[in-house]
Amino acid sequence: MTTAKGKAKSTPISYALFGAPPAPGEEQIERYSRPVRILHWVNAVAWIVLFITGFFFFVPQFGAPAAGGVSGLLHRIAAVLMVGWAVLYFFGSPKAALRGIGEAFKWGADDLKWLQAAPAYYMLGEEEKMPPQDHMNTGQKLWWLFVIGAGSLMIITGALMWFFKGIISADAFMWSAFFHDVGFIALLSFALLHVYLSAFHPKMRGVFWSMWRGTVSARYAESHHKKWYDKIKKG
Amino acid sequence: MADKAILYDATKCMACRGCQVACKQWNELKAVVTTNRGTYENPPDLSWDTWIKMEFREVGNNGNLRWIFTRRACMHCTDAACVTVCPTGALYYHDLGFVAYDKGKCSGCGYCVEACPFDVPRSGTGAITGIRTMNKCTFCPDRISNDLEPACVKTCPPGALEYGDRDELLAKANARVAELGGNATLYGQNELGGLHVLYVLDDTPAVYGLPADPQVPAVATAWQDVLQPLGWGVAGLAAMGLGLNYVIARRKIKIESEGK
Repeated sequence: MTTAKGKAKSTPISYALFGAPPAPGEEQIERYSRPVRILHWVNAVAWIVLFITGFFFFVPQFGAPAAGGVSGLLHRIAAVLMVGWAVLYFFGSPKAALRGIGEAFKWGADDLKWLQAAPAYYMLGEEEKMPPQDHMNTGQKLWWLFVIGAGSLMIITGALMWFFKGIISADAFMWSAFFHDVGFIALLSFALLHVYLSAFHPKMRGVFWSMWRGTVSARYAESHHKKWYDKIKKG
Repeated sequence: MADKAILYDATKCMACRGCQVACKQWNELKAVVTTNRGTYENPPDLSWDTWIKMEFREVGNNGNLRWIFTRRACMHCTDAACVTVCPTGALYYHDLGFVAYDKGKCSGCGYCVEACPFDVPRSGTGAITGIRTMNKCTFCPDRISNDLEPACVKTCPPGALEYGDRDELLAKANARVAELGGNATLYGQNELGGLHVLYVLDDTPAVYGLPADPQVPAVATAWQDVLQPLGWGVAGLAAMGLGLNYVIARRKIKIESEGK
């Protein structure tokens, strides 16, 4: 996906939108493998479909497109795509999947320092106090934990409403809908944060391309993920 | 416009089930073959194409047996849980007070089925696709807008069902309850803001299988009236916060890089 032709075509608009990728001459390090990137973008597309079709159900003022049940069907198709692809990925490369999930749960002293230093960094761009980070920084770990937690909530409450309607009590059904909506609000808010921090924050311009092309510049890896960079350099 | 209502006088009902037949006929609902379950009560339950059915109860009374009948169909509440939870506005309050619905707008979510305190709406098939529109008593809007009674009322041989202005029927029902005396009850005057199907009962509602104090489930109200505005607030704050961060961070970082 990084042919010279493709690059030339996509240059102006996508660079303006997401920032420029590392210069062609720069040293590159692989950050996300191809299966991980495909998983990410399948998830992203499914999530957007789920969000829009779910929105119709959640807010009656925008409920008109849900009439007839087509949006409900799309919601189910997207849910199956999202969960199904993740399961396929997991069984395709269980080691990588477990390692990836495990990253969210590895916490240390540098994570606490990161949390203390992050506000000044993200608001004012002060880098001095930011501790060295591994492949995932503390913010990414938090996002990852949130995705695992909120994702589980959505899958469980969604499955209850889909497959157990009429089997579970009316109250259990309605509480499922309630918590599905709570998850919707939380996921929407944090997804805005995720998109902003990984593409649009002034310090993060160009970071988007790591999930598209799979690589980051060595310079970026060293400044943002020092521990990870050192490990790779050691081999 | 004055609210309309149906008055069901259980003491006049002879359980002929003519109302069930008239409803199916007028609304072109499919009849199904059922098996004898040892009771005249049939079919066994409300369904997507059975909007009204008579319930038969045998109640002991000092060694005597009372055979009592209840009309089972949409109660057309003033504060209807189904209307509260309906995401598409398919269920709505008609100008005449009853709960009408526009089947073309139904998404098949089935929220109304779970929320109804009387367990009346029924989903169609299509549990996997989710395309399973709801069905229930419509109050025959096509008939009443042409000055005709609902089909069930029209057919009722003993005059147990009456249709008219809700206020007039209430006065009539109260007079009838006073006349009956004893445990006789008027059901539907105040329940859920006032039902548009009123019941004259010869005993307490519980004996007739009616909930003594029906309520819109609290969770249904919480999710529509609390979570919705909260959702707008939280998402709005998140978007504003990020916008603010962008403005500040961009300025700071620009100044910094120019200073270097």
